[in-house]
Amino acid sequence: MVNPVLLIAVPLGLAFAIPLFNLFWKATAKYIPLVALAFNLVVSLLLLTQVFENPVIVSIGGWRPPFGINLVAGPVGVLFSAIIALVGLLVSVYALDYIKEGPTEKYHMLYLLLLTGATGVVLTGDIFNLFVFFEILCISSYALVAYLRDKAGIESAVKYLIQGAVGSSLLLIGIGLLYGLFGTLNMADIAQNIKSISPISVFVPMVLIITGLGVEAAIFPLNAWLPDAHSSAPSSISAILSGIAIEVGLYAVARVIFTIFGASSIFLFLALLGILTLLVGEMCAFSQNNIKRMLAYSSIGQIGLILFALAIATSYGVTGGLFQLVSHTLSKALLFLAVGYMIHQTGSLQISALEGMGKKMPLTCLAFTIGAFSLVGLPPFIGFPSKFLVVRAALATKETYFCVLIGLALLGTVIEGAYFFRVVQVLYFYPVRYEKSSNGVKGEKPNPRRKEAPIIALISMFIFVALIVIIGIYPKLVTDVLSSAASELLNRLDYVRNVLG
Amino acid sequence: MSFLNSYIYYIGAFGLILIGLYIILVKYNLIKVIIGLGILDTGVNLFLISVGYITKGTAPIFSGPGVDSEHMVDPVPQALVLTAIVIGVAVLALALSLAIRLYQHYETLNLRKIREQKW
Repeated sequence: MVNPVLLIAVPLGLAFAIPLFNLFWKATAKYIPLVALAFNLVVSLLLLTQVFENPVIVSIGGWRPPFGINLVAGPVGVLFSAIIALVGLLVSVYALDYIKEGPTEKYHMLYLLLLTGATGVVLTGDIFNLFVFFEILCISSYALVAYLRDKAGIESAVKYLIQGAVGSSLLLIGIGLLYGLFGTLNMADIAQNIKSISPISVFVPMVLIITGLGVEAAIFPLNAWLPDAHSSAPSSISAILSGIAIEVGLYAVARVIFTIFGASSIFLFLALLGILTLLVGEMCAFSQNNIKRMLAYSSIGQIGLILFALAIATSYGVTGGLFQLVSHTLSKALLFLAVGYMIHQTGSLQISALEGMGKKMPLTCLAFTIGAFSLVGLPPFIGFPSKFLVVRAALATKETYFCVLIGLALLGTVIEGAYFFRVVQVLYFYPVRYEKSSNGVKGEKPNPRRKEAPIIALISMFIFVALIVIIGIYPKLVTDVLSSAASELLNRLDYVRNVLG
Repeated sequence: MSFLNSYIYYIGAFGLILIGLYIILVKYNLIKVIIGLGILDTGVNLFLISVGYITKGTAPIFSGPGVDSEHMVDPVPQALVLTAIVIGVAVLALALSLAIRLYQHYETLNLRKIREQKW
């Protein structure tokens, strides 16, 4: 049996080994994230088969919970760590060629630290430990947003840092209040005793914790940092931030609401917030001319849909939410990766600069189109079964409230379709841009020079494409895992029993 | 007075937290905002310590005649604060280095004048 501690220890150790490797063998530094994440992926997949029956609980240092820090490798944790390792691995393959400028060894170190933090958040069973891993994730992403050191990157990183730091302070106050109330930091132990305290005094820490985590998860009134940070980071980092960082934030929100507090009374409010997030994100995305900003706003929209699906809080709803989360991770990472090289080619972030790219970079554009169609929810891509499951879950509740909200969500999807199809139209159905000759007069011939993204980037993009198509055609591959993960989130008593024995 | 005596640390902690939040929300100078973040961090740390504090308690590593476990302060919040201080230092250091870069680009630290990224 593999010990889940390795999922955190190996990448953490290797991350700090990168500067050392860089000292002696300069060329190897960029391959270390590959090794660490491939290891994580293998371990997660091995664990995934085991944790179905009973979750693996690791007590660190031999202190049994609730006294020591423990890791809970249940279906949810292992599923998330597998996704993080998979997407991280593919993006680091892409970054082998994409990241050339700047202090690259620091990029790879921070990148690995970011993913270590994310893995730690999803595996830990201790709420203060969750805060610590969250800070590892946040600090490395602040630094990575500013990696290019250009005007936009620095400004967005400052915004992100200020908002993120206030958010984590609120989270820490909430954790302090919980410790004062219960005298323990173990999530299962808090969950067990939560009923013994009057609801009103539990409410304050809950609000503080959800607000703190909501900043990282970009839930509607707290999402001002997201479009800046995601659009001015290097594209490989945008893919990770959009595909993993905010999903991990949502995971933490779900874990806190479902497992720790079991707060069924705020689900309706969260569903409303989810739909507001969705509509605001999609409408802002519709009005953007900058392609990376458009994708960033579209992430806000998708987060809203996932939050709504989780807030339905039925077995179908949570399964649908997790499925939508997986589908968003794969599709949005693919979109950012494809856009990265298109921007490289044109040197401009404007959508209008992409005219006729379908002829210049056919494979990259194909990847972009598949990602866009999947995000909108067209069959046979992964976005279709996931959105279908969410809609079905909302209708199955037979409550007017959810039915009205899912109607609004579908309206958001229409807007989403409108702006993604607009980009696809620009890519394929506009004539190739005329190259300006040196005296500023339009040249005679269009520039038909084909220049694809490098082969290694194409490989990583097309693995994403393959996953999107295969899971889209055969969703049964993941639905079993997802529904057992959903039942772990919904049955908090089982969680408590598993951890405390 | 007894109210004040038993809650003085909480009052101080939340006072610091509110001052920090006020500075972050109201001031335009980035350095002042970072100072606000520092004060906010300090307030949170003081709050965590006071959660585990017992009046006239001793540090939990002292033992010997006349010192029993009932008069020791709770060690867990102290461990938490140690971690939180380290995290706070990291965030503040990163914030200051970003402030230097921001100044090199814009020649100002006034957040009102730095608005290239907007909705």
